[in-house]
Amino acid sequence: MKNKLLLLAGFAVISLVSNAQSVTLQFQNLFNGAPLSFDQLYQTPMGDSVKFSTLNYFISNIELVDKKGKSYKIPQDSSYFLLKHQMDSSKTIHLANIPAGKYQQLVFTIGVDSVRNTLDVSKRTGALDVGAAARGMYWVWNSGYIFFKLEGKTINQVDSLRKNFRYHIGGYGGYDSKTINNIKLRAIPLKSLVVKKGKTPIITIDVAVERFFNSIIPVKILEHPSVMWGDFSVKLANNYEQIFNLGGIKYE
Amino acid sequence: MNKQGQILLVVLLLLSTGFLISNQSPTPKLLVIPTNFPAPTYDISKNPLTEEGFALGRKLFYDPLLSKDGSISCASCHQQDAAFIQADHDLSHGVDDRLGKRNALPIFNAIFRKSFFWDGGVPKLDFVPINPIENELEMDEKMDNVVHKLNASAKYRSLFKNAFSVDTISSKEVLHAFSQFMYAMISANSKYDRYVRKENTLLDKEELAGLSLFKGKCSSCHSTDLFTDDSFRNNGLDNDQAKDKGREEITLNVSDRAKFKVPSLRNVALTAPYMHDGRFNSLEEVMDHYDSGVKNSSSLDAQLKSGTRLGIPLSAVEKKQLILFLNTLTDSTLINNKNFSNQKH
Repeated sequence: MKNKLLLLAGFAVISLVSNAQSVTLQFQNLFNGAPLSFDQLYQTPMGDSVKFSTLNYFISNIELVDKKGKSYKIPQDSSYFLLKHQMDSSKTIHLANIPAGKYQQLVFTIGVDSVRNTLDVSKRTGALDVGAAARGMYWVWNSGYIFFKLEGKTINQVDSLRKNFRYHIGGYGGYDSKTINNIKLRAIPLKSLVVKKGKTPIITIDVAVERFFNSIIPVKILEHPSVMWGDFSVKLANNYEQIFNLGGIKYE
Repeated sequence: MNKQGQILLVVLLLLSTGFLISNQSPTPKLLVIPTNFPAPTYDISKNPLTEEGFALGRKLFYDPLLSKDGSISCASCHQQDAAFIQADHDLSHGVDDRLGKRNALPIFNAIFRKSFFWDGGVPKLDFVPINPIENELEMDEKMDNVVHKLNASAKYRSLFKNAFSVDTISSKEVLHAFSQFMYAMISANSKYDRYVRKENTLLDKEELAGLSLFKGKCSSCHSTDLFTDDSFRNNGLDNDQAKDKGREEITLNVSDRAKFKVPSLRNVALTAPYMHDGRFNSLEEVMDHYDSGVKNSSSLDAQLKSGTRLGIPLSAVEKKQLILFLNTLTDSTLINNKNFSNQKH
């Protein structure tokens, strides 16, 4: 802890003396354009009545790409974030030391890259700590992180019968045998993001949860109430890849 | 990086070095790799063996604190007198006497394994303990809760400080301690080992006949002096309707249907029952299976098919000789080594 604080202090000093500037990413989980609430009953585009209880996802390997296609990558060891809907602070990501300039694209991974899925345990700190933050986001029997987790209940409108649904999507391609790879690299056009001294850009990423159920293929919950390690997970990952889009950019 | 940044980093490095030196360093522990074994797969440089780390891993291994209700420890299913499997249990027993899915595998010689568990779902030793800890049919606990429980214990905090120089315990140190205990558990002192290393030990005529049969009929899968090639194979226990999909559950590849890790045969005389579901109670039953019990299926190992004949033909005498040879793979020093036993305080 002591060392961490010193390092943080170090970074703060470095950023004061250079032209670098911080950038904030704000992830906003929405349903039909309004902030997602776990207390509310929703209708999916496929007509299912749902109440959500869990929405967690990993965002990692963040990059900003400028006009010329040159990319600034957030240093690997500080580029893993676990966003939990119920934990507001987790949905705001502060990126330190972004070089001044104009950027046109934000790139990130939804999930955790294959290397980090297999690295030594000493490289699994912070969001990746299987004995802390990453509780419930790791498959212990099939080593690897759960990239995206959406859970809740669907409620039958006729007889009010409730049924749980669970979507745990992961898969980094396999360690020694090739298998499902659900790592999604999402590139988001920014038009123009100006990073300069004195102003902190705040980029809002909208996450349109209703489109989880229809962005590429339609998903009727009762046909697939539980999707984890299996072929259908690929289709759900393709669906949720599309739901991360630019909300807006403002400067503070 | 600019100059101020560089100076600051140097200061930070000096500070962190001083921080480490102020603590007592743990005592390095010697690890001997047997001359007749292949190279280890575990990267010891990332987690060097120390007396304190090993002893801590051992304490964790025998501590029921790891389970949800404090009723079972790792040693419940990995008993030293049974070469670290659960004697007389076909499937492992967890909290509330819940029945696990598969037969517990021994944990010795883990430092040489390419993957872990019957389906190879865990490729790295460091991540092995979380599997039984979080499995609902086994210890049914959560790793973060284990870390909380350990941090709540003054005794454990002091042991972790001695072993890893940390004030607060995290999963990394817990898993590294476990790995030290497991990777230091090398079993290489059977009669067979002393014979191949020419340590004044001879095999008798029947055992030698068994060894020769073994080389001709078994060693293509149970290869090297680890007695496994660490691959996944279908050895004909079931037809295509196998209940347990084995390796396919990990790879999702139908050609891996009902394939399981080729187990090491070291200490095999002590580790009954046999196979992933513990269906065979004796080595005689295993011999009978390979001779006449092999069932055909689309993923049956090619080496168990020759024309229309399935399995490996074995006469009664050959079965007896093979078993006599397998008995020479028992390492009594493993089961009697106090270093691997529960220390009662």
